[in-house]
Amino acid sequence: MKLTERQSDALSELINIGFARTGAALSELTGHRVLLDPPEVAVYRADELRGALAKFVPGDVASIHQVFAGPVAGDALLLLNYAGALQLTDLLTDEHNPSNYLDESAREVLTEVGNILLNACLGMFGNMLNVHVTFSVPRLHLETLDELLASLTTGKTEIHYALVIYTAFQIRHSSVKGFLVIVLSVDSLDRLIQEVDAWEAQQSR
Amino acid sequence: MIGLRRYLAMKETSSKQTLLNAAVLHWMHDLAAQGIVTTDSELNVIEWNHWMEEHTGKGASEVIGKNLLELFPELIERRLDRNYKWALEGQVRVLSQALHNYFIAMPAGSGEHAFRQMQQAVRISPLSHEGRVIGTLTIIEDVTERVAREDELQAQIEERSRLLSSENIARREAERANRLKDEFLATISHELRNPLNAILGWAHMMRVGNLNKANTERAVETIYRNAKSQTQLVADLLDVSRIISGKLRLDVRTVDLIAIVNAAIDSIRPAAEAKGIVLQTMLDPAAGPIAGDADRLQQIVWNLLTNAVKFTPKGGCIQVNLQRVNSHVEIVVSDSGVGISKEFLPYVFDRFRQADASTTRLHGGLGLGLSIVRQLVDLHGGSVSVHSEGEGKGATFTITLPFVGVISNEKESESVHPTKSEELLSFDGLPSLEGLKVLVVDDEADTRELIGEVLKECGSEVIIRRSAAEALEALEQHKPDILISDLGMPDEDGYSLIEKIRALPLERGGNIPAAALTAYARAEDRMRVLRSGFQFHLPKPVDSAELVTVVASLAGRAYKS
Repeated sequence: MKLTERQSDALSELINIGFARTGAALSELTGHRVLLDPPEVAVYRADELRGALAKFVPGDVASIHQVFAGPVAGDALLLLNYAGALQLTDLLTDEHNPSNYLDESAREVLTEVGNILLNACLGMFGNMLNVHVTFSVPRLHLETLDELLASLTTGKTEIHYALVIYTAFQIRHSSVKGFLVIVLSVDSLDRLIQEVDAWEAQQSR
Repeated sequence: MIGLRRYLAMKETSSKQTLLNAAVLHWMHDLAAQGIVTTDSELNVIEWNHWMEEHTGKGASEVIGKNLLELFPELIERRLDRNYKWALEGQVRVLSQALHNYFIAMPAGSGEHAFRQMQQAVRISPLSHEGRVIGTLTIIEDVTERVAREDELQAQIEERSRLLSSENIARREAERANRLKDEFLATISHELRNPLNAILGWAHMMRVGNLNKANTERAVETIYRNAKSQTQLVADLLDVSRIISGKLRLDVRTVDLIAIVNAAIDSIRPAAEAKGIVLQTMLDPAAGPIAGDADRLQQIVWNLLTNAVKFTPKGGCIQVNLQRVNSHVEIVVSDSGVGISKEFLPYVFDRFRQADASTTRLHGGLGLGLSIVRQLVDLHGGSVSVHSEGEGKGATFTITLPFVGVISNEKESESVHPTKSEELLSFDGLPSLEGLKVLVVDDEADTRELIGEVLKECGSEVIIRRSAAEALEALEQHKPDILISDLGMPDEDGYSLIEKIRALPLERGGNIPAAALTAYARAEDRMRVLRSGFQFHLPKPVDSAELVTVVASLAGRAYKS
């Protein structure tokens, strides 16, 4: 499945609203100006995901993972490489000496950041689709990309698609790259795209 | 219609379920090690567990039924109330300790940490029923101890990396010192070879004998000047090695600083005048006397002045001030020379350091003079500092010596040594050795002859011998007044010779005053020389004036064992 240019633009615009909220929330929390680069959206089949992500996140991956359920169901993840995860927590917590490993406090910070971002974006979708979605508690995992992909809860029997949204956190002259990955069933994605089309038509009217 | 058996089974299951639910609620309320708060969708408190009672000091009866945000208005002030709004929309929110510190203020428990407030990690979840949010669940975890442990660990890691980097600094410093030594070795071979080239070149031409009178004079002059400069280099090196090995001893007496400074100025004056440098002095008569080693103090001032002359261009100016400041005496040498760059300033007094270590540098020398100055000043309990506005802006060296309230005692007061300048070659003002018979023993013909010539020049009779055995024979045969003997000789050395002489009865010359000649100018060599029966130690190469003075002084005293 491929998105048309208009669908892709509309989806990016919607997600960007979520990013703006996330940036504002993080700025308020940390007292530093936090911006997220405008999203770049692409759709992959779940089995293509590995190839698509491996280029960007070699080595260990830090992921904040929330499962969502309801009329639209799937897995939502924020992915960072390990160095990026360290850098992001240091920047957010004003740690001047670079950390060498993610301690429990750092993991909590990452979980909160992922939580804010995932809620902002999925909340947008929920509102737009006018469906009530429930979320699991966010969990942070440190693992290889393969382990991560194997752990996705969405059934392996039916075909799934993944929205891969690339962005970067801009904090205090530093940039930390990350990915937002939303894995959906075909039905859920279809429904999402229909709603996006409708929203786009409404906007351009 | 439901069968009875099935109805009973359902009833049993549901009563089991009810019992279990009650047990879970009991656990949450009484036993959970976290704070658990539930509210309805209006945020009125429904459950407030024992942990919350214990840590907030608010009993369940005080809070149940009341609005959570009214109970804790700080949640609104800190904009944390939004999390409940989101929870009521169905979102789960997590709040980290690192970004919030705490959610509801509670005192931290006692333990090994510096926190006053309990540090908390919080999770706020919606409570849903049939797709509708009917309330919220807040779970508060006390992470104070964990955070304290993490901070401690972080501090340890930082300390370790700091140590690691200071180790790296130490290693780099060692490598730098090594490199300096290499540079120094390159410099030293260059500096020692330069005068040698001149000496060898001119000496060769004199040997071949094709020099006219004017050129011969020039050759002698050049050889003398170069030998003199090499002697200075070697003396500097020996000083440094004595300083490094802690063997340098000061001969501390009451000394007159003004005389010392004047003597140093006199000896540098010819060099300064040759460059057209103006020497200005301001010597405060109230500055002396102080307690110190006259020779070494003169060396300090002389080194500073040599340095100033070396680095001051033609037509420049050097100022020497001596003044008393409170409880100390200050010697200030300032020049209008090339100055010192800010980068090099901290290393001025380091051994083997020269601002320009390149082979094409303009200024010769080993870079030891200022290092010796600092060491000597340190030994005197003083300090030396340098100031320069930068390259091309001149430099000022300030020496501070403690002023010791010495009672001037004429007998103790040591007069300053006569200036060792080129003048000495003319033997003017040297004591006469008329009527003295001097026995000179050395296996080296050149030294033997040189000493012989110098002594004859001063009017003494000289008997020259090549070995200890010949010397013993001459002693009995010629009855000399003074013995000058080399130490290092084949077959029998100078120590053995003097031992044999001292064993002789007086009438056979057993108490002849004697001086030893040696190239080993270290303190322990000097000690051994004096212990073995010589009264004087003359380092090689021999300074003519010193030799004559020593012989004259030996003439006045016979050896007393």
